[in-house]
Amino acid sequence: MKRHLWIALSAILFFTPTAQAKLKVVTTTPDLRVLASEIGGDFIEVESIAKGTQDYHYIEAKPSYMLKINKADLVISVGLDLEVGWLPSILQGARNPKVNPGSQGYLEAGSLVRRLEVPTGNITRADGDVHPAGNPHYSLDPIAMGSVAVGIADRLAEMDPRHGAYYREKGQSIQVRFTKKSAAWLERLKKSKITQIITYHKTFSYFFERFQIANPAILEPKPGIPPTAAHVLEVIGLMKTHKISLVLVENYFDATIGKRIQDEVPGARIASVPVAVEGASEVKNLDDLYEKLVSVIEGKNP
Amino acid sequence: MHSHRVTFILASFSLFFSTAVFAQTGTNVGAPAAPSKPLNPDMSINFLGVARMYSGFALQEAEMQFIADVDPYFRANALFAVSKNATTGEYGIAPEEIFFETISIPSLTVKAGKFKAALTRHNLLHSHAFPFISAPIVNTELLGDEGLNNAGISAAALVPLPWFSEFTLQGFTNSSTPFNSGNSGDWIGVAQFRNLWDLNDDLTLEFNLSGAQGKNAYAGKTNIVASDLIFKWRPAVGGKYQALIWQSEFLSGTMRGKPSDDSVDGWASWLQYQFAQRWWAQTRYDMTGISAATRANQKKRLSFLVGFFPSEFSGFRLEYGRTEQVATTDHALALQFNISIGAHPAHAY
Ligand SMILES: [Zn+2]
Repeated sequence: MKRHLWIALSAILFFTPTAQAKLKVVTTTPDLRVLASEIGGDFIEVESIAKGTQDYHYIEAKPSYMLKINKADLVISVGLDLEVGWLPSILQGARNPKVNPGSQGYLEAGSLVRRLEVPTGNITRADGDVHPAGNPHYSLDPIAMGSVAVGIADRLAEMDPRHGAYYREKGQSIQVRFTKKSAAWLERLKKSKITQIITYHKTFSYFFERFQIANPAILEPKPGIPPTAAHVLEVIGLMKTHKISLVLVENYFDATIGKRIQDEVPGARIASVPVAVEGASEVKNLDDLYEKLVSVIEGKNP
Repeated sequence: MHSHRVTFILASFSLFFSTAVFAQTGTNVGAPAAPSKPLNPDMSINFLGVARMYSGFALQEAEMQFIADVDPYFRANALFAVSKNATTGEYGIAPEEIFFETISIPSLTVKAGKFKAALTRHNLLHSHAFPFISAPIVNTELLGDEGLNNAGISAAALVPLPWFSEFTLQGFTNSSTPFNSGNSGDWIGVAQFRNLWDLNDDLTLEFNLSGAQGKNAYAGKTNIVASDLIFKWRPAVGGKYQALIWQSEFLSGTMRGKPSDDSVDGWASWLQYQFAQRWWAQTRYDMTGISAATRANQKKRLSFLVGFFPSEFSGFRLEYGRTEQVATTDHALALQFNISIGAHPAHAY
């Protein structure tokens, strides 16, 4: 019995993945996928684990994702604990030491951005499923994603120096493009006269900070806890007193809550919006996503 | 030995609580995302309480888990269970799973220590993750209340196929039912072949075959074969609010030797339907004695369960079970709570 076990063990040791010419990149989200894809062009292959229609806080650790990461040269995560419930299990099952956190093959994009809403002092889950490392929803800030693009380009250049100049140029050009477009988006949003928006979850903190919009309340009474009747009443009261006329519901949440608010607050606009690339069929990349959000707030794209 | 264990736990407790303040204000770009994460292990505590009709309320079990990378080569996992000894009625603490495993070998995980055997998916679950309050009858009758969970070594390799395919070989000390050869040199060998296919973005199919073999107390061998068939559906659009799991398992063991061959076999099949963000409705049929010569050796049970989960960290489940054996029918009603504190759980699929 013992001898058989050892023979089988040593046989298994020789199953190693074959070397690939193109860098294989796996991102946790489609938002990071489109960035990596634009930067890497034909020199990389890139896939995403989550889909844009899913709530990134709760993705299942499917073994098929382990298989993708098993063959990857680079894993790019959002970080800031967004994927804490599922990425560790996937990485563990993937059995790929190249992409273990801390190695060159693992990039936490959250380390490249200025973080918002980092809790200070004691944190407790009595406040809901708080994000201890800060709000992880920076993908809705074009400027933050410009920094992420530059960081991804740097990492690809380190791993594949032969095409380093190409990656860096692409990363820079994304950053320049998002900076320019952000100025135009800010102008349009200022003209829209919308200064306060209610959302379902704290998904828009970075977007609102960038475009100078306030987020006086969210529909979740606490992060991760579904809206209660009492809390929704409070929000309705707030909307009436502060003349808030727009509610954005991230489209992976149940939007029927909006109906109730619409009935109670005359003239209020409730929009179910994609908050990720491929969150709606027409949102093919980050530019489409930001454009979509800006035009929904303007009221042009109900 | 026992006091050493307790000292270790107390030391870990004080270490954890002394560094549990996350005072962190810096948001500088380029800083690691979680710079002040202490080097002590991720710690979590889970406990289960159950109120049963006729037998009253009991703290079913508490588990303390510590997980950390050891160094660039290994990860370690230590899980202690506090539960009531069935004979003495006193609470005791015992190592439930304590092992280290490799994180540095491509496509292979080798682990050593004490851990649960890969013999049906259900055998790998801790009691707080059981789909129903109790394990399928056949798992308990064949493998005992704790399942097959001994000291041993394990190697699990990804098989290079287009779908997720994993082959696992494990060797355990021969110290639990239905083996118990009484000879410390004997081993229990376990093998598992696990396969999963994404039928589409919403639906996954899993099929596993596993087996175990080892000497038993009758100077013969015990052979076990097992299989799982699992469908999991969670739509990519709207998956926050609905999901469906249909899981079935078959388990059969034969003890050869004196006085005569003895066998235990059975199956279980259950449906778990998530019908709202925090609600599940479930039903299970399980039985033992498929090949039993007389109905006297058969046991059949039908269960219904409703679960409400206020958050990822708390849950309440109400279960009704009807068990039939020979001419008697038992009805059981139980309410269970399930509480977790500490590190965020990493959910297995
Ligand atoms: Zn969040």
